[in-house]
Amino acid sequence: MSTAGFNSQNGTGTGQTYTNGPSQNPVALQQPSGVGYSVNHQPAYNQMQAKVLAPPGPALYPSGPYQPVPPGPQVGSYPPAPAQPLLPRPQIGILPSHTPPQSASPSPGPRPAQATPPAQATPPPPAVTSTSYYTGPPAWQYAAPRGPAPNHVNPAAAAPPLMSHSSTQPPGPGAPPTSIHGFTQPGSAPPPMNPLPPHTYQPNRPAYGPPPTMKPTAPPAGPPGTTGTPPPPKADAQCWGAASSARPPAEPDTQEGDVECPGDVAGNGPQAPNSYNHVDNRMAGAAPPGRHLGHYPSLPPGYQNTSAPPPSSLHPALQAATQPYTQGPQPYQQQPGGPGPGPGPGAGPAQLSPSMAAMSLQSSTPEALRVVNLLQERNLLPPAPVPAPTPCLTQDLQKLNCSPEVFRCTLTSIPQTQSVLNKAKLPLGLLLHPFKDLSQLPVVTSSTIVRCRSCRTYINPFVSFLDQRRWKCNLCYRVNDVPEEFMYNPVSRSYGEPHKRPEVQNATIEFIAPSEYMLRPPQPAVYLFVLDVSHNAVETGYLSVFCQSLLDNISALPGDSRTKVGFITFDSTIHFYNLQEGLSQPQMLIVSDIEDIFLPTPDSLLVNLNECKELVQDLLKSLPNLFEKTMETQSALGSALQAAFKLLSPTGGRMSVFQTQLPNLGVGALQSREDPNQRASAKDVQHLSPATDFYKKLALDCSGQQVAVDLFLLSAQYCDLATLGCISRYSAGSVYYYPSYHHQHNPAQVERFQRDLKRYLTRKIGFEAVMRIRCTKGLSIHTFHGNFFVRSTDLLSLPNVNPDAGFAVQMSIEENLDDMQVVSFQAALLYTSSKGERRIRVHTMCLPVVSSLSDVFAGADVQAITGLLACMAVDRSVTSSLSDARDAMTNAAIDSLSSYRQSALTIQQPGLLAPACLRLFPLYILALLKQKAFRTGTSTRLDERVFAMYQLKYQPLAFAMLMIHPALYRLDDLSDEGALNIGEQTIPQPRVLQLSVEKLSREGAFLLDAGLVMYLWIGRNCHQNFLSQVLGVSSYAAVPEKLYLLPELDTAESQRTRAFVSWLRDQRPFFPSLHIIRDESQLKPHFLQNMIEDRTESALSYYEFLLHLQQQISK
Amino acid sequence: MIFLTVIARLADGLPLAASIQEDEQLGRDLQHYQSQAKQLLRKLDAQSPDRCMLEAGNVNFCYFISQGVCCLCLCDASFPKKMAFGYLEDLHNEFCEQYGKRVPTVTRPYSFIEFDTYIQKTKKSYIDSRARRNLSSVSTELQDVQRIMVANIEEVLQRGEALSALDTKASNLRSQAEKYRSDARFLNTRSTYAKVAAVVLVFVTVIIYVRFWWL
Repeated sequence: MSTAGFNSQNGTGTGQTYTNGPSQNPVALQQPSGVGYSVNHQPAYNQMQAKVLAPPGPALYPSGPYQPVPPGPQVGSYPPAPAQPLLPRPQIGILPSHTPPQSASPSPGPRPAQATPPAQATPPPPAVTSTSYYTGPPAWQYAAPRGPAPNHVNPAAAAPPLMSHSSTQPPGPGAPPTSIHGFTQPGSAPPPMNPLPPHTYQPNRPAYGPPPTMKPTAPPAGPPGTTGTPPPPKADAQCWGAASSARPPAEPDTQEGDVECPGDVAGNGPQAPNSYNHVDNRMAGAAPPGRHLGHYPSLPPGYQNTSAPPPSSLHPALQAATQPYTQGPQPYQQQPGGPGPGPGPGAGPAQLSPSMAAMSLQSSTPEALRVVNLLQERNLLPPAPVPAPTPCLTQDLQKLNCSPEVFRCTLTSIPQTQSVLNKAKLPLGLLLHPFKDLSQLPVVTSSTIVRCRSCRTYINPFVSFLDQRRWKCNLCYRVNDVPEEFMYNPVSRSYGEPHKRPEVQNATIEFIAPSEYMLRPPQPAVYLFVLDVSHNAVETGYLSVFCQSLLDNISALPGDSRTKVGFITFDSTIHFYNLQEGLSQPQMLIVSDIEDIFLPTPDSLLVNLNECKELVQDLLKSLPNLFEKTMETQSALGSALQAAFKLLSPTGGRMSVFQTQLPNLGVGALQSREDPNQRASAKDVQHLSPATDFYKKLALDCSGQQVAVDLFLLSAQYCDLATLGCISRYSAGSVYYYPSYHHQHNPAQVERFQRDLKRYLTRKIGFEAVMRIRCTKGLSIHTFHGNFFVRSTDLLSLPNVNPDAGFAVQMSIEENLDDMQVVSFQAALLYTSSKGERRIRVHTMCLPVVSSLSDVFAGADVQAITGLLACMAVDRSVTSSLSDARDAMTNAAIDSLSSYRQSALTIQQPGLLAPACLRLFPLYILALLKQKAFRTGTSTRLDERVFAMYQLKYQPLAFAMLMIHPALYRLDDLSDEGALNIGEQTIPQPRVLQLSVEKLSREGAFLLDAGLVMYLWIGRNCHQNFLSQVLGVSSYAAVPEKLYLLPELDTAESQRTRAFVSWLRDQRPFFPSLHIIRDESQLKPHFLQNMIEDRTESALSYYEFLLHLQQQISK
Repeated sequence: MIFLTVIARLADGLPLAASIQEDEQLGRDLQHYQSQAKQLLRKLDAQSPDRCMLEAGNVNFCYFISQGVCCLCLCDASFPKKMAFGYLEDLHNEFCEQYGKRVPTVTRPYSFIEFDTYIQKTKKSYIDSRARRNLSSVSTELQDVQRIMVANIEEVLQRGEALSALDTKASNLRSQAEKYRSDARFLNTRSTYAKVAAVVLVFVTVIIYVRFWWL
C-alpha cells in the first residue's frame, strides 16, 4: 500500500503572469494521510476556443478584384517576370535522399535501418539497448540523412476512390465515427463569384495549361513487406528508467567524449542536411514565368468562376467592393466584427454552386478533402485563428487524446507505409510544447511508476488491458503485468480497476519521481547573471532597467530556501561580487587575467538568496552607478562565460548573459562579418553559420554540467548572433534580441525588454532535464529541432527547460504499419522543479493509421506542416544556402499539390486544386518566403535574420505561425458582437483579414499582429470618432509621430480596443511592442512588408505565386 | 574533508536530505560512492549497529542511526573520527528537531532537501581548521568514540550479496533436485513399461507357440 496522494494541481508556478485564458481554480487538496486523491474534473484545455466559426458569408467577404495595389504608380501595369529565380528544384525533405550522407563521421552503429529499404522485412531495429545509450555517437553526427530509402515511384496508384472516413476508423466499441474537420462548416461555400466583371473578361483558360490527363490506375504497388516479426528481445535491464533517465548529473565522461568527437565542429548541429540534399534538377532551367505572367493585365479582377451560373441578384456590397480600392474613396464595405450573420439574402444558392460543382461527384467527401480551386477562391482565411485538425479517431479515444497545443503531428492520419508518405510529399513530424503552462495538470505520487518492461513507455490511456492483471504496451506491443499497487484506484478508492487509474485517464500527466530517477540529490535553483558593463552597454542604459526589474521580482524568482544567485560583470576584465553573509556591502573582485580565468574566492560568489537578500539588493541598487563613467570599450565575453561556467559547474543552473556588442577581446573574440551594402543586393546570404566553434564547445560543456545559458542581445550594431547564439542553442537556453536598444531613443524596446524580463525572471523553470520522445514501433524519429543537445540517439539533454520552448522532430516510417489501426507518440520530460522535486511530465498522443493517399491528405495539418518546413528550411539555409532553402520550400508546395492532383483527385478540373485542409498551404509558403528569415531582395540585417531563424525553430507552433503569417484586424469599428467574456472583461473579436493592402481603407484603423511586434495603422481619413475616443487626439494630423501605447481613456471604444490588444498580448509569453503609425510614418514600410499577398519589388504576389505553382504542377 | 552527506529514513532507505561537495580529486568516483551510499542505506535496518565507520579505499563512510533516521557521510580517511561523528550528531539533532515528526509520513524522495542549507553551514564549520578549535570542546563529549565499530564497506554490502548468492544456490539445488526426482520417476516408469512389455511379449510368444505348434 504505497500509493499515495494524487492531487490535481495547478501546473503554473506561482506568480505567473502568463496564463492562457481563464484558469480554473486550482484545486490542491492535500490529504494528510498517505492515500489521497482529488481531481478537478473540468477539462484541461478549454482556453481560447470560444470563438465561433462562421461560414464565410458573402456579405463578409466582398470578393474584390484580385489586384493588390502596389504602393506606387504602377497600378494595373504588371511588369513582367520579377527578378525571382524560382526554379531550380532541390527537394525539400520529403523524399529521402539519393545522395549518401554527408556526415563527417562513419555512419553510426546502432542504426541498423540505415540503408534498409522498407520493402525488406527486417525485424525492427533494437530500439534502445542499454549498451547503445552512451556509447553511441553524438547525435548531430547521427542525424545523417536517412539511408537511401527507395524512391519508389509507384505508378500513380490512384487511391481507391474515396475511402470514406469511417472505413478507417478503428473498431471502437460502438462509438460513431467522427469527422470533425472544422475549417469551415460543411454548408459553407466559397465566396460568391463576381458575375458582372467591371473589366473585360478574356477567356484565358489556356494559360492554365492543359488539364492533366488521368493516368491509368494501377493497384497500389505497396512494398511486399511482410513484417510482423516480433522485435528482438531487448536487453531491457534498466533502459532509461532507473539508470539513464536519472542521467543528467551523471556521465561526465561520455559528454566529454561527445565534445571531442570529430565532426562536431563542422556539423553545425544535429540537424544535418537531412533529406534535403536531393537536388532534382529536372527544372533547373529557370523557365521564365513570363508566358503566364503575360496574361496578367488581362486577368479580370476577381476570379471568374467559369462553371457557376450568374446569380440572379448581386449583393450590393459586392458590387461596391468590386471597384478597385484605389479608384476612389468610396466607403469600405467590409463588415468586420467577428462572426457575423450568415450569408446575405439572395446569395445562398449562387454561392453554393461552385463548390457543388466540384463536389458533385464526391458527395461523401469529408470537409477536409473538399476540392478547392485556389485560383478561384480568394477568401481562404477563416475569420478566426485556424484551429488544429482533429484526428479521425473514435470519440472515446479522441476525448482522451493529448491537447494539440502540446503535441501536434503534421499528418493527423499516419500513412501506412513510407511509400504512401513519399507519394504524399508531405513532411512527417511532430511539434511539441512539452513544458507549456497548463491550468490543469494531474499529478501522481506513486512509489512505482508503471512502465513497459521492454521499451520503457509510461502507461498511458492508449494501452490495452488484456485482463485485470496484464496490459499491452501500445508502442512495442509487449504484454506487461499490472503491479499489485496499480490495482488500487485512488480516484474511486476501489480495488481492481486499473483502467480507471488517473494514469490511464489522462494523456498529459505528471509523476513525482522516486529516487531511482535521480543520480544526485535534486539541485537547488541557481541563477547567475553575467552583465556587459562596457562603455557601449552603459550607453544603452539597459543596466538600470535590468537592476530595477530584478529588484522588483527578486522574491518572485522560482525557488525554495536553497535558491542561489550570483553576479559577474565584464568589460575588458571580469568582475566578481563577493556577497558573503556578514559583509556590510558587496565586495567587487576584479580579475584582469582573462587568458587563464580563475575564481578569486571559492565560495560566496554564489550566495543563498534568502540569507543575503539585502546585500544582493544593495548591489543591484549600486550597479548602474558603478560603471557610469567607464570608458572601456572592449568586451571579453568569452572569458566571462568561462568564469561563469566555472562558478556554476558544481551545481548547474541558469546563466543569463546580457551582451551589447561584438566580443572583441580574449577567447571567443569575433570579427564583424556583415557588409551592410550587400544586404539587399547579395544573391545569397553568407555567414549564417557560426564563425568559431568556441561558443558551441562551451555550450556543450555547460550542457554536461547542467548549465543553461540564456542570451540577451541588446545592440544596434552587428553582433554575430549566428555565432553567439550557439551558446544558448546547445545548452537549451533561449535567445532574446533587442535591436537598436536605447533607453531614450527607443522606448518601445525598453518596454519590451522590461516585460520580457519580468516574464523571464518569474516563469516556471525546470532544471537538469532530459526529454525522450518515443513512438510506436515502425516509426522512427530522426531529426530534432529546437534548443538542446542530443545526448544519445533520442535523448534530448535540456539543462534548463522553460514553458516557452517549443520543439519539433521529423519522423520516417521504417516498417509498414499494416496491422495497426492507431499509432502513439509519447514525450516524457524528466526535470527537477525549482522546489527541488524530481518530476516526470508525460504527454501521449494517439493517431489513426490510414492506407489511402486521400486519407493522408485529409489529415494534413497545414500549420504544423508549415512550422516543420520552416525548421527544415532554417537548417537547410545554414548547411547549404538560403536560395536552396527557398527553392525547397516552393517545391514542397509544388510537390504536394501535384501529387494530390495526380493521385488523390478523381476528377480532373482545370485550375490549381488543393484539398480544403491544405488550401492555406501556398499562402503559408509564400509567407515563409517573405518572412524575415528567408526573404531576399530587401535589406535585412544579418542578426535580425538569424534571430528570426532562431525564433522559427524555438517558438511553439502557435507563436511561430504568427511570425510567419501575421494577423490583421480592423479596429475602428469593434463591437461587442461575438465577443469573448473573460472574467469581468469583454474582449471583442474582430475577424482576421487577408494580408493585402486591398483590405486596408483610409477610413479605418488596422492592427497588424506579427508576433513580436504589432502595428496599428491609422488611415488618413480615419473616423474622427476613433481618433478622439481611442487615441485621444483631435485630428489625424495630431497623431504623434512616435506613439507606443494606447492612452487610457474612459470611453467604451478605448476600453474595447485596449482590452483586445492586451488580450492578444496576454496570450503569449513575450511582449510584443505596439507601434501606432500614420500613413506617412517611417515605419510604414515595415508594416507593408507584412502584406504578404501583395507584390513587392522583389517578391511575387500571392496570385502570381499561385500561377507559378500551377505552371510547375502542370508541367 | 566531507564529500557527501545523506540523511535517510531507516525503515526503507528513502533519502530525505542530502548535500554534495564537488571535488576535483574525487571527480568521477563520486558517482560510484553515491550509489554505494544508496545501497548501504537500503541495507541498514534497526539491527545494524547505530554507529559505524566503513572503510572504502581512501575514504570512509560514517553513519549514525537514531530515532529511525540515519545520517551518513563520506569523508577523507584522514578526517578525524570524532569530528565526523560530532558532525553527524549535530545534523541529526537539528534534523529531528525540524522535521522529526514528519519523517514517517513522507513518500517523496528528498522531501526535506531544504535542510541542505543547514548541512552546508555545519559542514563549513567542521571542515574549517580555524573553527575546529572551537569545536574541540564539543567533540570531547563523545567519550565512547573509541568503541565505534569499524568495518569494510565491501563486507557490509556483500553480506547481503553472499546471502542472496546462497539463496540462489539453494533454489538452484532445489530445482535440480526436483528435476532429478521427476527424471527418476520417468525412468522408473519407463523401466516398468519395458518389463511389462517383455512379459507381454513372452506371453504372446507362448500363446502363439501353443496355438500354432501345440495344436
